[in-house]
Formats: sequence, structure tokens, C-alpha cells
Amino acid sequence: MTCAEFQRDLPEIFEGGGSLAHEDHLRTCHICSDLVSDLRYIAEQAKLLVPMEDPSPKVWEGITKSLEREGLVKPAPARRGLLAPQRASWGLLLSIAGLLLFAIGFLFFHENAESISGQSSVAMQPAPADASGANADDEQVLQQVEQRDPGLRTTYETNLHNVNAYIADARQSLAEDPDSVEARGYLMQAMEQKAMLYEMATRSGR
Amino acid sequence: MTQAKKILASGISEQEAIERAKQGDAECFEALYGLHKRRVYSLCLRMTGNTAEAEDLTQEAFLQLYRKIATFRGESAFSTWLHRLAVNVVLMHLRKKGLPEVSLEETMEPQQEDGPKKDIGARDNVLAGSIDRVNLERAIESLPPGYRIIFVLHDIEGYEHNEIAEMMGCSIGNSKSQLHKARMKLRDLLKTSRAEKAIRRL
Repeated sequence: MTCAEFQRDLPEIFEGGGSLAHEDHLRTCHICSDLVSDLRYIAEQAKLLVPMEDPSPKVWEGITKSLEREGLVKPAPARRGLLAPQRASWGLLLSIAGLLLFAIGFLFFHENAESISGQSSVAMQPAPADASGANADDEQVLQQVEQRDPGLRTTYETNLHNVNAYIADARQSLAEDPDSVEARGYLMQAMEQKAMLYEMATRSGR
Repeated sequence: MTQAKKILASGISEQEAIERAKQGDAECFEALYGLHKRRVYSLCLRMTGNTAEAEDLTQEAFLQLYRKIATFRGESAFSTWLHRLAVNVVLMHLRKKGLPEVSLEETMEPQQEDGPKKDIGARDNVLAGSIDRVNLERAIESLPPGYRIIFVLHDIEGYEHNEIAEMMGCSIGNSKSQLHKARMKLRDLLKTSRAEKAIRRL
């Protein structure tokens, strides 16, 4: 057997398909013997390679954002309902936060609403929600989205539902522990998310 | 403490975390991510050889996991199921971007450049004992994509040729042939790297 013949059969030899002729060649040819030894060594070493590196934190962030965007999970703070609320006095802070958000939202949307031609002036800032978390503005925004693209309504409905649930959770945590800076942050975030959602809903129509 | 550690510390097994994640429990899903992210990411990184792509694909694999976990019936180990899902995500991605897949016309005939170097005469040229993990990882990264994928799937991930053939849509013989060529190419790369190091030491 020549080296060329032996090497042609190598893939099969590695799968246990070697013959006596192959073995004979291997015993007498140091080139092919070294080759087999190297290839076996590479395969053995490869099996020892273990995963050493973690993905960067942005991978998990991307996953959660995607799931939230698709409405498959609630925004992160809403999932933290199990966390024990902290004590603090933050009724006042909540009011300030609410007023600030209202003002920012109003200014932002007022400025942008002017560029929406032919559209009714929907209240762009999140208005107070009812017990279910939804409010009249939600419905107006949804109707606007539906007029533009009926297929998008469900997506926005789900997202609004989630963000309302998030706001309700944050409000409840705040009520239980008015001093919690964390809970206040959640509420701020929730309001911001709702404002962003409104903005996305109206901006996409421009 | 990470969510995965919290779950484990609270005495919840991976099996329970899977069952809860099936019901939509986001914390248990996060725990599963914590338990499997490293291996899934490594698989993606080794198959693509690109950090950014590997991160995107890891993300996509876990998003698919979230969407499909309810279909996991426990017929195989969860990790096996998840890794197969991740492999499919990577292969789908590579196909979309024009994966240099194994050619269906590939024969078992060895190519001229795939043979061992004939000038190798000394017995001390064997690689045994001279490869470290970093060098091997680097060499794998340098492999042409088609070879790299099959090498990673077979020699690192432990898939059989019939499984690879099914995933890649090629014949079993083709998978064996490509694996052989991948190992041959690795041998060349490792020998070159060793020779370069030796020259630098002079």
C-alpha cells in the first residue's frame, strides 16, 4: 500500500474502518504514522476544549428587550414584585415625578403633535389610568394605530397592557412603601416607557 | 447573586426551572440562561469565529428557546435539545449569509494540498505534547468556515456524522471527508504556529 492509498482511506480509518493492509502500512511508514498520531492528538485535544467565555451582559439585555417588545414578558421592574418593598416617605416624590413626567411628556408631544397633519389631537402624555391600568388615551392611540395599520393594533395593545401592568405594580409597591427610592424609580421608568410607546405609536404614522 | 445561582440556592432543580419557564416564569428562564449561556455562546463563537455574530446568535438562540420551550418534552437532555436548537440557529444564519457549506459534489478523494508535507522526516515533528488550548482555539478560528463548522460539531460538540449530515444537508461521507480535511488543515496551522514560535526564540 502506498502513502497516497493510505491517506485516501484515512477518513474511514478514523471511523474504525481500517484493514490489515492499513495497519501494515502504518507500522512501516513513519510519515503516515506521524500523520495519524497528529490527527488523533488534535481530535483528543479538541474534546478537552471547554467553554471558557461568557457572553457580554448586553446579550441578556437584548433578550429581555426583545421579549418585552414582543409582549412576551413584562418590563423588568414589573417582574420584581417579589422584592420586598423598602420603607421611605415618597408620596411627595411620586407626585413630583408624576408632575415632571407629565410636563416633559406634554412639552415633547405638544411640540411634535404640530407636525402631524390631519390627525386629531390625541392626548400624548399618559393620562391617569383606571383600575385596570388602561385609560381613554390608550384607546385613542390604539384607534390611531389601527387606522394606519390594523395589524399593528394587537402589538400596541399588548405593549400598552404590559406597561399599564408595570405601572400598576410600581404604584402598588409605592403604596406599600412610600419611601422606597427603588419603587419610585420603577414608576418613573414605567411612565417613561408609556410615554415612549405613545410616541412610537404616533411617530410611525408620520 | 445571579438569578441562576438564586434558583439553585433556593433548591429549585434545573428540571423545575424548565417546567416553570414553560409556564412563562421569566425568573426561571433567566436561570436557564445563566446555566447555559456559556456553552451556547462558545458554540456560536466557535462556529462563526466572530464575537459580534456569536452574541447576536446567542441572543437569537435564547429567544427561540423562550418561544419553543413549551415544546420540550424531555425526550433528550435539555442541554442536548438546547444545543441542537442553537446549532440550527447558527446554520440558518450562515445559510442566509451564504454559508460556504459542504459541497454536495465533494468526493472522498484527498486534494493535493490536503496531504501531509513530504518534507517531514524527523520524528520530533509530531504535535503530541506541543498544543496548548489557546493555540488550538486560534487555529480552529483560522479554519475555513466550512471545515470549522464540521470540526466544531464533531470533535468539540460530539455530534455524530449522521447527525451532522442531517443538519448540514450533506452525505455522511461528505461530513467525514470535511472533518478529515479540517483536521489536516489544523495540523498545518499548528505546525506553522510552532515553527514561527521556534524562529522567534532563536
